[in-house]
Amino acid sequence: MNALAAARSFDDRLNPILVKEVRQALRGRYFRTLFWLTLGVATLIGLSIVAEAGSRGANMGVGRTFFMLMNGCLFAAVLGFTPFSAFLATSAEWDENTHDLLVLSNLRPRQIVYGKLLSALVQALLYYATFGPFLVFAFLMNGVDLLSIGVLLLTSFVACATLNLLGIAMASLSPAKAPRVLLMALFGVALMMSWGFSISFATFVTYQPHELRDPMALPAIVAFVVGCLLVGGLFASLAIARLSHDEENRSSGLRALSVALVLVATVFGLWMELEFGHSEFAWGLQLAVLVPLVMLWLHFLCEPETLGRHVARHVSPRPALALLSAPFLPGGGRGAVLMALHMALGLSAVLAVRLVPGSDKTELNRALIGLALVYAYVWIYLAIPAGIASWFSPKLSRRVLTRLVIIGLVPVAVLLPPLLGLVLGIPSWLDFMHPLNPMYPLKGVISGSSFSRVEKLWLLTAALAAIVLNTPRIARGLQEVLAASRARRSRASSV
Amino acid sequence: MSLLDVRAISKRFGALKAVDGVSFQVGPGQICGFIGPNGAGKTTTMRICSTLELPDEGDVLVDGQSVLSEPRDARRRIGFMPDSYGAYTSTTIFEYLDFFARAYGLRGERRREVLARVIEFTGLGELTDKEIASLSKGMKQRLCLAKTLLHDPPVMILDEPAAGLDPRARVELRELVKALAQMGKAILISSHILTELAEMCSSVVVIERGQLKGGGVLADVVRSVQPTTTLFLRALEGPAACERTLLELRGVSKVRLERDGVCFEFEGDASQQAALFAQLASSGLRPLELAQQGQNLEDLFLSLTEGKLQ
Ligand SMILES: Nc1ncnc2c1ncn2[C@@H]1O[C@H](COP(=O)(O)OP(=O)(O)OP(=O)(O)O)[C@@H](O)[C@H]1O
Ligand SMILES: [Mg+2]
Repeated sequence: MNALAAARSFDDRLNPILVKEVRQALRGRYFRTLFWLTLGVATLIGLSIVAEAGSRGANMGVGRTFFMLMNGCLFAAVLGFTPFSAFLATSAEWDENTHDLLVLSNLRPRQIVYGKLLSALVQALLYYATFGPFLVFAFLMNGVDLLSIGVLLLTSFVACATLNLLGIAMASLSPAKAPRVLLMALFGVALMMSWGFSISFATFVTYQPHELRDPMALPAIVAFVVGCLLVGGLFASLAIARLSHDEENRSSGLRALSVALVLVATVFGLWMELEFGHSEFAWGLQLAVLVPLVMLWLHFLCEPETLGRHVARHVSPRPALALLSAPFLPGGGRGAVLMALHMALGLSAVLAVRLVPGSDKTELNRALIGLALVYAYVWIYLAIPAGIASWFSPKLSRRVLTRLVIIGLVPVAVLLPPLLGLVLGIPSWLDFMHPLNPMYPLKGVISGSSFSRVEKLWLLTAALAAIVLNTPRIARGLQEVLAASRARRSRASSV
Repeated sequence: MSLLDVRAISKRFGALKAVDGVSFQVGPGQICGFIGPNGAGKTTTMRICSTLELPDEGDVLVDGQSVLSEPRDARRRIGFMPDSYGAYTSTTIFEYLDFFARAYGLRGERRREVLARVIEFTGLGELTDKEIASLSKGMKQRLCLAKTLLHDPPVMILDEPAAGLDPRARVELRELVKALAQMGKAILISSHILTELAEMCSSVVVIERGQLKGGGVLADVVRSVQPTTTLFLRALEGPAACERTLLELRGVSKVRLERDGVCFEFEGDASQQAALFAQLASSGLRPLELAQQGQNLEDLFLSLTEGKLQ
């Protein structure tokens, strides 16, 4: 009786989307067909290998082949079919006209995204459970050790979760059918590629199991898992933002995650220095996280300036807290503040490693200058056009245009001077050695040469211009938060 | 106090002004008919009221909650039945309703009770294990209504719920809607079947090309656009004699032959109308039938709107 009550209360707490999607999947054709197909193929392969081993005697080689083939099937299922079905399930909400119903159901966008993720993971777990006996069999055939199996299961599961979130995010991008078909094709290609990667990784682990006992193996696996989780978190935040009401907060989740990216890179850099004495990770990792960060900054800087009505009503009534939260609230000006915060964090990460006794100080000094240079370029290329665009209407089409212009601006700025150099006869410009090219001063830092005073002056002027262009909207953005905080205080006192 | 308070909302789609400064209110227990030609902006207005679309200007309060600043609270108080709605594939009626009941946060025993009540109210009892894809239009409408009722919203917005239903299903739907109004809900219902609306509505809102053309208590609106009463007279002497007699009487206009009698407009209050009947009886005419035509929503519709599509 108690068990029944417990089961019922557990059932009540389940995510409604999870319940619905698992029911649908188990009744629907897609999952059932693919499940039995995969299982059938795996069984056939298993039987044929066993038959061959029976005729020639079992050895390690046969065990490994068997294990690899099983991995191929399992990875196709959990890294291919499952994420693809997550894409289709999200896509179906638009196609079947049920998206409005989900909105009306008042489920939080977070619940919708995680419900879809969970139901995909449940399907993946069904595959894992089915393939369990095959993997045990491979182990018994001496094909593979337990550590390798464990590592492959862990990494593939994490990758599966991330790919599911990517699929959900991509399908949520556009309600219109045509762009979604394109996205589906892109996603299909991405899945094929990840399947290929997973198989080569499995081959590596199976045939070189001793590599997993290398001291750098653990950091590599941790980096992979944490990286996948962060990237997955970004995809989830993106999908959640897409499914939120326009007046609600569509930005804070992404902003918090972007800071987490920098912090994780910092922690990792410190770990590498303390544990292995590798100083170059300190700034290498900060450069690596710049790739997703630049895309996020581009997004934040071009957001409409005003807070949504719902967001404004929920700004903290305490002025200090409200100001502290400002970089995390939606709005282009506040996005610029967040960007500055990120850069300060990235530089302090390198400084922190420099404080570690025995770290390579000359390398880290150069790293600081190099990182600051990269930040300066990113700041100039993003903040100047976004600052100018913020004077015009915040219409969606215009904001998309601004983002496209910024993306297009960089190659133009890098490629135009060489053409001019050709016309004007400046040979160094012809070799891409001009100050608009971020790689040029960076190369200088790495090779130890400094650049000319004119070039320094240009960089400083441009960075300052970007600051000047953005100051008004930053000021307005902060004032708006304070005003919202004041309004909330006066509402509270009037009640 | 009104449960649904629409305040000067406007909505543009590109150059097209789909809704243009529309305001109206619906109070508890009221059934408000929402009428207008195709493309008038009814669906758009209803979607704004249900938080599915953002107004460019104005606001809507649902039981006091703004759809702009508190969309989640507003949504909890509203039951919207869209004109076309999606059905999940590979899902039975019970699973569909169970899903939404879970989404609305109904737990345990309470969820089972609510599901049982709603299924009984909408008469879906025998079909709970049927897949949605195999349902008839009428059954789907019932299912959609059932879904809308799960969280017991004080405000209901029904967009053409009767479209495509057979006469019996329509009558049943009407009874369901009336029962809901009796529970004190505010109901906004759009339909192109005006006789249907006239049967149940206590008030109407008329819009055309996004603009409010009239609205209020049904009888008042009818009187404001039509100061005259339409009457029908049939006599033993035949329509021609009727027409001759009527044209001599005061307050009578627009006499026209209809079936085997005449229809005419009469302007005057109740006592003048009684006097008219007495005059008719004493004129030598032998009336077989003298009847007042019902408040005709169709006439109202035609006189308020211009018939220009957008
Ligand atoms: N998403 C949209 N994008 C562009 N135009 C739209 C959109 N939705 C509605 N419209 C336009 O807005 C106008 C009002 O449409 P709406 O659906 O509100 O009318 P309606 O009164 O419900 O009409 P019907 O009686 O035919 O259902 C129409 O001209 C329609 O074409
Ligand atoms: Mg409509």
